[in-house]
Amino acid sequence: MMLANVFTKTIKEHWLGWLIAFFSLVVLLLMAMGVYREMDVSLYSELPDVYRSMIGISESADVASLSINALVGTYGALTIAAMTLAMGAGLIAGEERRGTLGLLLSSPKSRTYVLVSKTAAMVLLTILCVIAIWGAVVASAAVLDISIEGMDVGALSFHMLLNSLFYGFLALAISTWTGNRGAALGVSIGVMVMSFVAVGVLPLIEKAEDYAKAFPWHYFTGSKPLLNGVNWGDIGILSAGCAILAAIALIGVNRRDLKTQSVGITMIDRLRSNPLTEKLIGRLAGSARISSIWAKTASEYQVHFVITAAYMFTVQGLMMGPLYAAIPERTRTAADAAFKVMPEAMLALFGGGGLATPEAFYQIETFGMMMPIGIMVVAIAIGAGALAGEEEKRTIGLLLANPIKRSRVVRAKALTMVLFAFAVGIVTFAGVALGATLGDLGMSIGNIASACLLGTLVGLVFGSLSLALSAGTGRRKIAIWGAVGAGLAFHVFNSLTEISDVLTDWAWLTPFHYYIGNDPLNNGMDWVNAAILAAMSIILITLSVALFQRRDIRQTG
Amino acid sequence: MSNQATIQTKDLTKHYGKVRALEDLDLEIQVGEVFGYLGPNGAGKTTTIRTMLDEIRPTKGRASILGMDTHDKSVEIRKHIGYVPGDLAMYPSLTGMDTLTYFANLRGGVDWSYVDELADRLDAELEKKVGDLSSGNRQKVGLIQAFMNKPEVLILDEPSLGLDPLIQRELQKMMREVTDRGCTIFLSSHSLSEVQRVADRVGIIRHGHLVAVESVVELRSKAIRRVELELDGQAKSSVFEAVPGVRDMAVENHHVVLSFDGEMGELIKAAAEHYSIIDIHTQEADLEEIFLTYYRDEVVTK
Repeated sequence: MMLANVFTKTIKEHWLGWLIAFFSLVVLLLMAMGVYREMDVSLYSELPDVYRSMIGISESADVASLSINALVGTYGALTIAAMTLAMGAGLIAGEERRGTLGLLLSSPKSRTYVLVSKTAAMVLLTILCVIAIWGAVVASAAVLDISIEGMDVGALSFHMLLNSLFYGFLALAISTWTGNRGAALGVSIGVMVMSFVAVGVLPLIEKAEDYAKAFPWHYFTGSKPLLNGVNWGDIGILSAGCAILAAIALIGVNRRDLKTQSVGITMIDRLRSNPLTEKLIGRLAGSARISSIWAKTASEYQVHFVITAAYMFTVQGLMMGPLYAAIPERTRTAADAAFKVMPEAMLALFGGGGLATPEAFYQIETFGMMMPIGIMVVAIAIGAGALAGEEEKRTIGLLLANPIKRSRVVRAKALTMVLFAFAVGIVTFAGVALGATLGDLGMSIGNIASACLLGTLVGLVFGSLSLALSAGTGRRKIAIWGAVGAGLAFHVFNSLTEISDVLTDWAWLTPFHYYIGNDPLNNGMDWVNAAILAAMSIILITLSVALFQRRDIRQTG
Repeated sequence: MSNQATIQTKDLTKHYGKVRALEDLDLEIQVGEVFGYLGPNGAGKTTTIRTMLDEIRPTKGRASILGMDTHDKSVEIRKHIGYVPGDLAMYPSLTGMDTLTYFANLRGGVDWSYVDELADRLDAELEKKVGDLSSGNRQKVGLIQAFMNKPEVLILDEPSLGLDPLIQRELQKMMREVTDRGCTIFLSSHSLSEVQRVADRVGIIRHGHLVAVESVVELRSKAIRRVELELDGQAKSSVFEAVPGVRDMAVENHHVVLSFDGEMGELIKAAAEHYSIIDIHTQEADLEEIFLTYYRDEVVTK
């Protein structure tokens, strides 16, 4: 029944992931609402407009709009958009890479039929998830007795739906033209994160405000749909964007030669096939990348690394300094005044910070969320893919037929993970240090280094967790989503411990506490925290070795 | 345990939950022998091999290679074996040469002139990326990888999958050559014709049970014949069932086809009592026939 046609089969393959994402969000929503309820939020209404606009809360700020904005407007929207996008990137290109597309298309169905069926599944799952979130918000407000009067949750959900679909169609369009799932994922995640950040920062700078309109995320949150209801102009723009991208996808899938199990051609391959550079590159790259397990793993994840590092360096590091310098003094003073009347941890959900000092600005823009995320993207990809990935691709059999211990394989893969995490950390440090210097912000370079080191270590904890899950289960999906879910949950939990008196005593439970708990950007290095984080990773990696030693290797196929 | 056996298993058992993939397997494979391991899909061939390589751990019993326990000494064992997994998968973005270099680095030291010789014999393309190769050409890379270290034991799971007949012949020749030098080969296959050509002994496995182990020569000497009779009337199976040595009979209109290892005279006498024989045709059975005849229902009746 579920395999009756392409549409239902696609639903069957994906519904579980969506369900898990939905329930994680609901749990976080309940936690956030519960905690915000205990807070005295009267002082929010005294904040200057600019400050409120930055965190997107209404003048009549209250528990509901705060938690809904934090959870649905930020975490929820990013999660759902990422789910749609991941699905869109894989619909055609995923089957192409697995080599199953040829078989599917050998049935008497047109490419258009296959694309439309699969896309319909993507759209339906996104709609269902958004409606479910909407329902969950209304229901949890009722259960916790929080008033959501005057708030248009439906409008926010509607905007969020089209926002998610936009990135889904973007990924779909790229993947149908290139047949390259990785490229589609990378580009559309890049566009999503860039616009999320841009829409947060640009409105702070008077002259730059209009530039935010160049970023799709603006049409989601720009009109503040939670307070102002549906903005049909913005909805129209997002819908038109979706329609255009869908048309592009349709043309792309119909006119292109399909690939068999696809193999990307990298720059190194081009240089190797060129007679002029053949010898040199062969010696430098060709033989280096297959010299050992860790080097081979490194070569497999170089794209993850280069994209993440470039993003962290440029956007999160370099650009933020001059950006902060460009924020008018008036705005900063107003924010500064606001800070004096606020509990310091109010912005905790965004990782703390604000506008008063360059440290606080870098905290909210770079270190609060993006720094650990950047490290986690690379570390979790390697941690999850290294062992379970080779099992799922069935290459582990040949690898383990060599006279090497399983523990050596785990250690080699862990080494790559650690090296890449530190490389991202160093590059981020360079970007932030350079940005702070360019903006003449007078930040302590030592403190920046401390924050980057602690951020790297906290990201590595979750990378190590994904390695342990991958070593223990052999399933890549469990390893990825387990680590991502734990990261998200601990991050939110950590924020809540800073707000709630009840939870403060439990802060020691979350790894993020050892990262930003002692505010490294202002207070410098805390070696005890660093040691605790390092110990967590070491324990998890040791556990990975033990788990992988005693387990049967999975045979998928 | 005897010391001469290169590969030995004792009560080797593997259960996956309720699925009994392998039950009490006892095998002994001698030095320089090609052991054909036969069975239909899902019989437990690959499970046996994966246990030998310590990819999975037995529920009960043990296996040893070159006198070493496959679990305790797995790393030491793997210095001496070459392996081609069934349904071979390799790194699609590496070329054949890269793949071989990677594994050579992990093993430590390979005679590259020998690799060239192997590539030449198998007509392998090592400059292309593995992902761009056809499955047969990919298989060649896997084979070179297994042979390149001149291992003492070769474990081959469906090695000729996707190879064209000429290359299959070459592979069989290569197997013979290395066994002449003392290499032992564990050859899992469902292609009887391949096993028939190279194996010294064959083991047959069904539903996780080892049904029989016989030498190829012995099997052939069982003198099973395939007999086809054309009769003047409607053939009835009851007429022939009574004749000792008749197996695996199919009756259609005026035709009877059967496998037979009894006295030919008896068969003709039985036929002549009821019919007049229009034509008779016999031929020596191949291994496939012999196996089907002897072992078709062996496990089902257990």
